Amino acid sequence: MNPPAPASPPTARPAEPVLPPLPWHARLNVLNVTLLLFVLAALFSLPALRGSGRELAYWENTTRFLGRFFPPDFSVFPQILAALAETAQIAVMATFVAILLALPLGALGARTLAPRWVVGVTRLAMNGIRTVPSLLWALIAVAVVGANPLAGVIGLVFYSLGYLGKFFADAFESVDVDVDRALRALGAHPVQAFQHGVWPHARPLVWSYGLWMLEYNLRSAAIIGYVGAGGLGVLLHSYQEYYAWDKFATVLLCILVLVTALDLLGEWVRSRITRKSVAAPRR
Amino acid sequence: MPAPESREPAARTTAAHVTLHALGLRRGDRWIFRDLTFTAPRGALVAVVGPSGVGKSSLLATIGGLLPPDEGEVRFHGPDDARIEPRDFQPRIGLVFQNLLLVANSSVLDNVLCGRLGRFPWWRTLAGFPQRERQEAYRILADLGLGAHAHRWAGETSGGEQQRTALARALFQEPEVILADEPVSHLDTYLTGRVLGLLRQEASMRRRTVFCVLHNPDLVERFADLALSLDPLDPLGWRVRAVRRPS
Repeated sequence: MNPPAPASPPTARPAEPVLPPLPWHARLNVLNVTLLLFVLAALFSLPALRGSGRELAYWENTTRFLGRFFPPDFSVFPQILAALAETAQIAVMATFVAILLALPLGALGARTLAPRWVVGVTRLAMNGIRTVPSLLWALIAVAVVGANPLAGVIGLVFYSLGYLGKFFADAFESVDVDVDRALRALGAHPVQAFQHGVWPHARPLVWSYGLWMLEYNLRSAAIIGYVGAGGLGVLLHSYQEYYAWDKFATVLLCILVLVTALDLLGEWVRSRITRKSVAAPRR
Repeated sequence: MPAPESREPAARTTAAHVTLHALGLRRGDRWIFRDLTFTAPRGALVAVVGPSGVGKSSLLATIGGLLPPDEGEVRFHGPDDARIEPRDFQPRIGLVFQNLLLVANSSVLDNVLCGRLGRFPWWRTLAGFPQRERQEAYRILADLGLGAHAHRWAGETSGGEQQRTALARALFQEPEVILADEPVSHLDTYLTGRVLGLLRQEASMRRRTVFCVLHNPDLVERFADLALSLDPLDPLGWRVRAVRRPS
């Protein structure tokens, strides 16, 4: 019989690790701070919810007003189609001209392509253009060229230029500058390095932003007619003046169909071209 | 310290093409290489070897004029041995970058055509390249086994295909000097032999001087004329030896 094994000394269990508390300053990141500031700003903005102070039957008012929209009067469809075509023409022409003008503007506003002072001046100008709403640009254009579709085109071109210029500049900046430098090292002129090095990468983004602007301009072109710049807005304005809300509803339905169709098309095209653009070289 | 003559074998073929004269490059306070004096004869294939991070790519960038040296200079010589200013010689240098730097959203063919952008005024290529150039670029792609990929986007091809596209771009440039930074790192044995054989042919048949970063000693022995080693353990940081390449 074997002698009993000597009892081994009890082994000390390692101390349980204690999770250190998160220091208070670690919670003060940019996300949390801006979120807190936003909530405070919302509280500060509560007076904006103050109404007229009178006892109004909000629900009854809403149902009575919306009831006048139904049923929509489709007898004005031919006039609406003509105005819709004009609206589309205004939006397409404005977007086309804005893209042409925004391309050089975007190149001048890209930190990777232009000298610092040129970038500063260009970006400042684009910021200035963006601060003026499209309706105001249309109003200025109507004052200059009169109440016609050209005023709508001019107004939307200026408005689009502020946005597209910035978007294009950002698109050019997102391109790897090493490719541009590599082509220059191979002897390419800066214009050639841009055309063959930067443009192929930026092109899907540029087209994607262009499509987005076209959708936006289509919606805007339907509104700027309120100040006389042609298109559906003129019809909307006149139907509103005469309280023809059933005809007004038909115009709104047409805009809804057009914008939704363009939105779906734009989404499909964007998803196709941007998926191509992110195909990074496999190493 | 050994005399410079013993460090640099005499040019065994023809006249000097590229001369590195007392070249020195510093990264911060540390010298990557210093007093590097070496002459590459026209038509030589020089293997640049050494451990990773020793400065092989920096040396190629210095020869290619992308990095200014902290000491010394790079001299280029014409066929009549006349010196050519580095700025004037720059368009005659073909580069294969280690990170390739291809235009991922352009076709393989367009990437190769970019090698000749320097030959045309900028307005001439606005509407594309002449058909003759496109045909010639396609021939080089076919030589490198990429004919079927000519119209595919470069970003959609494999790493090895991209590497050959980068080499095709450099060859299409028809440069006098080719600086190839690890041109076979993504290739299998067969393609490695094919690509290095092509560079060997460019050197021997077309009298182009090739600097090629290689890691495999067997490939150095098979394809190179000279081996320029960057070695941090060496007192000067570099050494040159002639390779006894099998005929």
